[in-house]
Amino acid sequence: MRFSKQRSGYRRIEAQMAPMIDVVFLLLIFFMLTLKVVSSEGDFSINMPIGAPAPSNEDIQTLPIKVRLTADENGQLAGVSLNNQQLGNTDVAFERLNTGILRVIGKPGNPLTSDMEVEIDADFGLHYRYTVQAISACTGKVNSKGQPVKYIEKIKFSQPRKAE
Amino acid sequence: MRFHKHDPFLSEADMTPMIDVVFQLIAFFMVIINFEATQADERVKLPSSDLARPTKVKPDQELVLNIGFVRDEDGNPLDPEPFVFYAGDEKIRISDMAAKLNLEAEFFQRKNKVANDSIKTTVIIRADAEVPTGMIQELIKLCREAKFEKFHLKAKSEEP
Repeated sequence: MRFSKQRSGYRRIEAQMAPMIDVVFLLLIFFMLTLKVVSSEGDFSINMPIGAPAPSNEDIQTLPIKVRLTADENGQLAGVSLNNQQLGNTDVAFERLNTGILRVIGKPGNPLTSDMEVEIDADFGLHYRYTVQAISACTGKVNSKGQPVKYIEKIKFSQPRKAE
Repeated sequence: MRFHKHDPFLSEADMTPMIDVVFQLIAFFMVIINFEATQADERVKLPSSDLARPTKVKPDQELVLNIGFVRDEDGNPLDPEPFVFYAGDEKIRISDMAAKLNLEAEFFQRKNKVANDSIKTTVIIRADAEVPTGMIQELIKLCREAKFEKFHLKAKSEEP
């Protein structure tokens, strides 16, 4: 018995590599974009106008809300106070500060808050992270839905305390 | 005169590689823009805050000042006093920044053709979490003396 060779219909199939490489590149770039290479940054606006007059004692209405931050010799937080009221020296102090500011402004979004100003008076050696925490606590709060609720947006620094 | 008949076969351009290339270019530029958006300096470890959110309106002109420490391999500061990482690799003490800030102020004044009063440029301060607050205040004071009056303090966002 003889078998005939089936020459007709025999084709060599070559895989097309170009589209595959294209897809691989696209996937690679897609994952590069979704990966957070650089963590996002936000900022706080600080109001330090040139030649601003120091608030006088006669005009009580324009007196800023004063937040005092003290440091130990290593630059760690030693105490937080809001208008001379001690709030502690741990992270809870910043929560108390946040509540205290809310008490001062009444309710978030109060139109009176546009005229209010918080003055941060920190010790020279205090680590900057605590100052940012204090600014954050005065600026507002993140609600349960993850949305920021603004309290007071005008923040300024007092004169730097001399280094010992 | 006789004309040759053209072959009626229509050659169609393959669009697939062209679309692929366009996608690649779009993705490439998206990556590049993402990197350019932040003038981050890896030597500066920013403090974090859950309220720090990226600004919706970017300032027209900004002067970014990175303040941090020169650290060893373990991350410990080699020098207890921080530096301003100015124009790339230049390291300047905060107390020596006055001259540089005056130069910057002069540049922005000339660029905007404004009088010798205030400058509308926003100074963006990117300071390390361990820098003493007094140093930042000193720097802001020097900036104010150079006629800058708008300041933004950068912090790492803690978005969920």
